[in-house]
Amino acid sequence: MDFNLDEETRSALEALRKWGREVVRPVGLEADRLSRPIPVDDPYFERCLLRGDGRTRWQPHADARSTRSRSVLTQLLLAEEFAYWDRGVMIANPGPGLPEASVIALGTEEQKERFLGPFVEPDRPRWACFAMTEPGAGSDAAAIQTRATKDGDGWILNGAKCFIGSASRSDWILVQATLDPSKGRAAQRAFFVEQGTEGLGPFKIEKKMGLKAYESSSFSLENVRVPASHLLGGETRRERSAGFKAAMSTFNAGRPVIAANAVGIGRAALDEAIRFAREQDLLGDPRVRDRIEAMTRKIRMARLVCLRAGQLADERRPNIVEASMSKALAAQVAQEAASQALELLGSTGGRGDHLIEKLYRDAKAMDIVEGTGQIQRMIIARQLVSLPR
Amino acid sequence: MNLDPDEELGLIVETARRFAEQEMLPRMREAERNRQVAPEVRRAFDETGLADLELPEGVGGAALGSVARVLVNEELGAADPGAALALDRIGPALYPFLEMAIDPVGSLSTIRGNGERILLVTESDGARIVRNDVVRGTVPWVPADRADAIVVLTREGAGLVRQGFSIDPVRGAGLRAAGAGTLRFDEAPLLDSAFRNAREAADRALARARLHVASLLLGVMRAACDFSRDYAQERQAFGRPIAHHQALAFLITDMQMALDGARLLVHEAAWRLDAGLPATAAAASAHAECVDASRSIGPNAVQILGGHGFMADYPVEKHMREARALGLLLGGFDAAVEAAGRSFCETEHPLEIGLGGAL
Ligand SMILES: Cc1cc2nc3c(=O)[nH]c(=O)nc-3n(C[C@H](O)[C@H](O)[C@H](O)COP(=O)(O)OP(=O)(O)OC[C@H]3O[C@@H](n4cnc5c(N)ncnc54)[C@H](O)[C@@H]3O)c2cc1C
Repeated sequence: MDFNLDEETRSALEALRKWGREVVRPVGLEADRLSRPIPVDDPYFERCLLRGDGRTRWQPHADARSTRSRSVLTQLLLAEEFAYWDRGVMIANPGPGLPEASVIALGTEEQKERFLGPFVEPDRPRWACFAMTEPGAGSDAAAIQTRATKDGDGWILNGAKCFIGSASRSDWILVQATLDPSKGRAAQRAFFVEQGTEGLGPFKIEKKMGLKAYESSSFSLENVRVPASHLLGGETRRERSAGFKAAMSTFNAGRPVIAANAVGIGRAALDEAIRFAREQDLLGDPRVRDRIEAMTRKIRMARLVCLRAGQLADERRPNIVEASMSKALAAQVAQEAASQALELLGSTGGRGDHLIEKLYRDAKAMDIVEGTGQIQRMIIARQLVSLPR
Repeated sequence: MNLDPDEELGLIVETARRFAEQEMLPRMREAERNRQVAPEVRRAFDETGLADLELPEGVGGAALGSVARVLVNEELGAADPGAALALDRIGPALYPFLEMAIDPVGSLSTIRGNGERILLVTESDGARIVRNDVVRGTVPWVPADRADAIVVLTREGAGLVRQGFSIDPVRGAGLRAAGAGTLRFDEAPLLDSAFRNAREAADRALARARLHVASLLLGVMRAACDFSRDYAQERQAFGRPIAHHQALAFLITDMQMALDGARLLVHEAAWRLDAGLPATAAAASAHAECVDASRSIGPNAVQILGGHGFMADYPVEKHMREARALGLLLGGFDAAVEAAGRSFCETEHPLEIGLGGAL
């Protein structure tokens, strides 16, 4: 057992902490106050590029295994730290985002070159996004209705997607569609749809309760035509896809990231609560101390559960239960911490201008995105008690 | 960073697990009924060397630390936490000896040589030290019918009591394999005391004691989770295993989550103690979490078995009672929360990553 951090992780954290304090937090607070996503031309995004953010970890002329990246454990600690300063801003950051991992794992060489290539040394802030959720299907992802029909050597897409992060500003959208809605997951494929393609849009930028710094958009696809080369993995993707799916069913590195984000949000609420209590001279009250103790304890526990899932992923050991647990637990803990912190503020929390009040709104999404708490519990229960699908 | 226990401890944990499953588990009801463990079980335990885990090498111990202790205790606690308390004659009373300069080797070798049974009590249990050399007060419940000596641990230090106390047996709510009694001090003289500049050492001794108890709780919780989960996959209602009704599937999931989280807190605190890092708040918090989790896991395990869970034919009613009883030791949840809360409130960012190099 060893809970020491290596030097590289520590200095990366230190740099992120400074960036977070000086830049991220103020940008996030402003987006929340103005109730709009950070504008595409905001100087913040240029500064991200100067810092080295917004790039892909894919490297041209190298096979998938040689992509340079940090250990999952270090990534989780950084994800916690970033979310501590502002989780909305973290997701607003430019870069190939959610679909990057699928493209690296499943994409053809030409697809990587074409769609990830511009993110190697981006000339300007660039985004990409993944569109799964639809107005009629979220958790039950097998039930999506967006249709892909073969048309000559290309494809025609029809359907609607909702709540998709950064969609209107993305260079391309990886759209999940079905060849036959009656066949569930097996008939689903993903297609690259480039911005400006006829029939894509209009984009409706949603008004959200929290995490306002980044854009969540809904849009429709009406007879959107994409060439055959835009089918992720190409026609012969099947084998690679089977391998990817097998990997996804034994380890998962995405859910612990959301868990780490939740821990960061919870920790921000905790620190603000302590600060408020100290300024108001409330720390002598045992009820206040008990609240702070409970928040600290639960957040620390969620962090450890999250890191444990990350360690297993680093070691290529099965982590399905741990990954889902980390997300289910951390989302709940963060929400409770923010709520307790708000309780501590008393009616000051009702004014709507305190960071804790923002964190309370932001935290809620952690139990919804990338599989709700209920869905995580179903995944865990499948492993623990063979819950049927 | 590595959150897994070191491999070299694997053998010790395996020994503990085998002993627990083969010797303790089959006789847990008998030990409870007789209010003691059978002599042959005790002999077998002495042969494992598990009681000497943390004793200094000078008195024949293995001088291992808190991590080893919590791993072993989880195994013993999963079988029979009362017997675990009874078998380890010195138990958590060891820690003031180890952490403070009260002639650890001299007293300890006598105690160990004579096979004496020593109990640890704290101020929050009801023991009061007056005038630095006399103990008064009543501890309504200790998990023992008798003791040769008592170690009294306060925030300022600790001392040993050999006379002037009595233990009157009581029925006991749980952990009866260790006995149960009310401990009364009657102007008991303190020997071998250490109170000067001992505050930090006293804190560490209490932290180790907390993890001792917390790790037994982990064992009980694990047993309750495992038993109720297996049962839920067998038992049928409304045409399917009860575990396949979502209300129970999610409950079982949440119980496992609470157990896994509490265990990681205990492990981290134990690692901090062994690494010589500040650990008292982490240990108190881990202790509190174990008590908190056990308060839901115990009753929920019974709930999963329904009426059968209520009956002594199944172990879950014992898990529920014993988890609760264990959670009352060392001042229970409130004392742990109070200690951790005070400490967290002294800092600005209690969970900042990388403070002092460790998580
Ligand atoms: C801020 C934000 C950003 C998002 N970004 C993206 C994005 O970039 N790309 C994308 O594709 N999607 C995105 N989403 C969508 C998100 O993934 C979905 O909202 C989520 O998967 C839940 O789906 P749903 O909203 O349709 O809820 P539903 O699936 O309708 O669920 C409603 C409720 O029913 C529960 N439920 C459902 N099935 C079961 C069951 N079998 N047993 C028990 N309970 C059940 C759920 O847990 C939930 O509580 C985003 C959402 C938010 C809020």
